[in-house]
Amino acid sequence: MSPSVAFGTDIDERTKAAEQSSTDVLTAPDVPWNLVIWNDPVNLMSYVSYVFQSYFGYSESKAHKLMMEVHKKGRSIVAHGSKEQVEQHAVAMHGFGLWATVEKAASGNETPGKGGRQRG
Amino acid sequence: MAKAFKYGLKGISGYLEPAERDLLRGLLDDVISMLEQDVRENEDPLAALIGLDMDVKQPTDRALLRLLPNVMKDDDGGSLEFRQLTERSVRENKIGALKAAAMGLDKDDLVLTPEDATRWSMALNDVRLVLAERLDIRDEADAEHIHSMQDWSQAEDVESYLALVYNFTTWLQESLVQAMLDARQAKS
Repeated sequence: MSPSVAFGTDIDERTKAAEQSSTDVLTAPDVPWNLVIWNDPVNLMSYVSYVFQSYFGYSESKAHKLMMEVHKKGRSIVAHGSKEQVEQHAVAMHGFGLWATVEKAASGNETPGKGGRQRG
Repeated sequence: MAKAFKYGLKGISGYLEPAERDLLRGLLDDVISMLEQDVRENEDPLAALIGLDMDVKQPTDRALLRLLPNVMKDDDGGSLEFRQLTERSVRENKIGALKAAAMGLDKDDLVLTPEDATRWSMALNDVRLVLAERLDIRDEADAEHIHSMQDWSQAEDVESYLALVYNFTTWLQESLVQAMLDARQAKS
């Protein structure tokens, strides 16, 4: 399933689709691409955390942790998956105004936050 | 004076004075016109219909580039290809959110459904991104400097006026996002 990036009439459906897709992303056996969120001085910390919760379905604590990583380290890998999957996430992130890029994952490095496979 | 958004029995509600609504409407319209593209005469109608734009280029305006960033850090070709496939739909989503917020300002009561709230937060965020580029906010120190300007009697020139407008939209977005987080918490 692929998340719709268009504004449907029902945001809840869109969120469900995104959650479904993020589950797929996190359990995919091969994880060749990363979605990276970059720090900027404009986006509110609360807003970034809200986007991580509402779009990816991450728990409040995981969203907060990833947001703080963006804020302190300048960037954070917030999801991974196939190129198509992370590009769709990037489209959604650009829609929210977050500065997102995609990149090929180097083998065996960062995973999206601690306990990246758990979802709250 | 505007009242902060809050989450309550009616959902998310706020209050803006007529002058504040006019100000916000003007900002939303500015960003909408930045994002709207001229219709090109010789464009392939099928490509347009499915959201492709083979003539797209990386924006030269920094504010527009911040709204529509490159998707790859060190691969201009890859970023351009991504733009061809997706930029039109990102523009349309943003315009949709900005227009929804502008229409919401025409109602007497600012009571937002969860969908409205999401669109408003996106619209306010885009307005702030554009203002921040115009104000040359590059790092946290710049942001702090702008944030320190809170007194409307300081509005002597365009820059200080823009800074105060930026701070107003920041305050409004922060209160909205807090209300959205409260609504989320109440549901779970």
